[in-house]
Amino acid sequence: MSEIKGRVWKFGDNIPTDQIVRVDRALGSMEEMAKHVLENYNPEFPKKVQKGDILVAGKHFGQSSGRAVAPKAIKATGVGAVVVEYASRLFYRNAFEVGLPLMECPGITDHVSEGDCMSVDMETGRIKNETTGEELQARPVDPFLMEMLEAGGLITFGPKIDEWKA
Amino acid sequence: MNMIEKILAKASGRESVKPGDVVVANVDTLLLHDLSGYITANVFENEVKKEMRYPKRVAMVFDHHFSPPTEQRAEVLERNREFARKYNINLFDCGSGNIHNVGVRNGFVRPGTIVVGSDSHTPVHGTMGCFATGLGNNSNAATVMAYGKAWFKVPETIKIELTGHTKPGVTPRDVALWLTAQIGEGGAVYRALHFTGQYIKDLDIWDRWLFPLITIDVGGKCGFIDPDEKTIAFIKKYTDEPFDVIVSDDECQYEQVLSFDISDLEPQVAASPTLGNVKSAAVFAGRPIQWAELGGHGGGRIEDFRQAAEILKGRKLAPGVKFNAVPSSRETFQQCIEEGIVEIFHQAGASWFPASTGSNQAINMGAMSKKEAMISTHARNFPGRNGSPEAIMYLSSAYTVAASAVKGCVADPREFLEG
Repeated sequence: MSEIKGRVWKFGDNIPTDQIVRVDRALGSMEEMAKHVLENYNPEFPKKVQKGDILVAGKHFGQSSGRAVAPKAIKATGVGAVVVEYASRLFYRNAFEVGLPLMECPGITDHVSEGDCMSVDMETGRIKNETTGEELQARPVDPFLMEMLEAGGLITFGPKIDEWKA
Repeated sequence: MNMIEKILAKASGRESVKPGDVVVANVDTLLLHDLSGYITANVFENEVKKEMRYPKRVAMVFDHHFSPPTEQRAEVLERNREFARKYNINLFDCGSGNIHNVGVRNGFVRPGTIVVGSDSHTPVHGTMGCFATGLGNNSNAATVMAYGKAWFKVPETIKIELTGHTKPGVTPRDVALWLTAQIGEGGAVYRALHFTGQYIKDLDIWDRWLFPLITIDVGGKCGFIDPDEKTIAFIKKYTDEPFDVIVSDDECQYEQVLSFDISDLEPQVAASPTLGNVKSAAVFAGRPIQWAELGGHGGGRIEDFRQAAEILKGRKLAPGVKFNAVPSSRETFQQCIEEGIVEIFHQAGASWFPASTGSNQAINMGAMSKKEAMISTHARNFPGRNGSPEAIMYLSSAYTVAASAVKGCVADPREFLEG
């Protein structure tokens, strides 16, 4: 998986999936969900996010309901990677299962600002703030999850696992 | 190995597993609700495109809707019914009760098994000696339908040991709320929580239920209580199917051990914006509420209705307060009828709602305007879950809900309880 590079959109701590995609939109079309992603925190985000941009957030990102439309809708906006202090377990799992690159990097929110340019290498976990030149190291991603991500998610990856077929 | 490690090893055909291992394991039960069921059904048919492998292991419960409020929602539910008929999975329609209560009461939850669900509170089934965890309501739940399997990374385990006896007026829900703050939101990310200690052992099953329930909201993957004779007797009421009673080894390894004596605890309240914002009820006392509710994934139990009835008997709700009584199952409502609780609530001014998960996410009830506040037995209080992001949700025991409804503001229930 090649390097991901883009503009930083920064969010705070403890953001619940309920606010990534509101429950009353969760049964609608993905296009409609993507138009409103995280709008309660930053109404400009869904309007102006560009393909390859990087979403940075704080602690326990994606807590609350385990609805996978939350990472799916973030992916649908074109975000190239999500880098957080740490994610909720279900958001973490869902992100890889739907093919959204996600990294946990303790300290990230202290080292990047809204609008910075940032690059992320999923293979090595190396993160660079291109605006300040600062480099950070994220937690390594389990090889199983990297394979899943490279396959494009669980639906394409699962049937390739031998034990899955048995 | 501890209980969940043994269950994961058995279900993946291994001698043993250790934290960090990734296993592909056979799944015994998949629980879906009306919202997640709809999303999962679409992913299953449009993306996975395989046969339903074990339809009898899949249960869909309509618990967020007891009745569809709009034509669009009626179509969602009808689509779910068509899906259930087409693939021959188990369906529990509107009015059946809360997903997790219905799952247990219909024999889908047995000790020693793996229970997964697209509801994030699925770890509650660790109460019954299961490995139980939430999966995304998307590719994962949909691939479980096709393959009967799921991947799991074996988590590290934190042991939580609770000892002591609570004071009068302090309930297991107060202990669970307080414990949420002690562990902290995100304090157990990806961990398994093993609830132990004499306090837990002495509780009945529906009170033990409140502990694995908090797992997800402290970030955990699963929570569990080793099954004992109480668990076995309880499960046998609901199923004739055989099951293996798997318990943790005496010398199993823990990443961390947290021990608490709960003897000095006061009644607790968790106020918006997060579950970690837990303080003694006295700290929030006097804050106005317009809504009170017994219901939710861990509320609406007979224990909750009995507690509230102690306070509501012979009293009236404060002017302006509305009280929603939402049984977690039809059996619970039946018990409320038999014990005279339906009448006590009605006379006090409370309203009975159909068995369901009540105001959870305000799908068909429980939305609030920005100036309103509710006190309830629900599991979450995040902004925007019940209408306006400015509306406030207080979480507490049923005693505290009832006391607050009678006073019109958050109240310590002990002033209403005898001795």
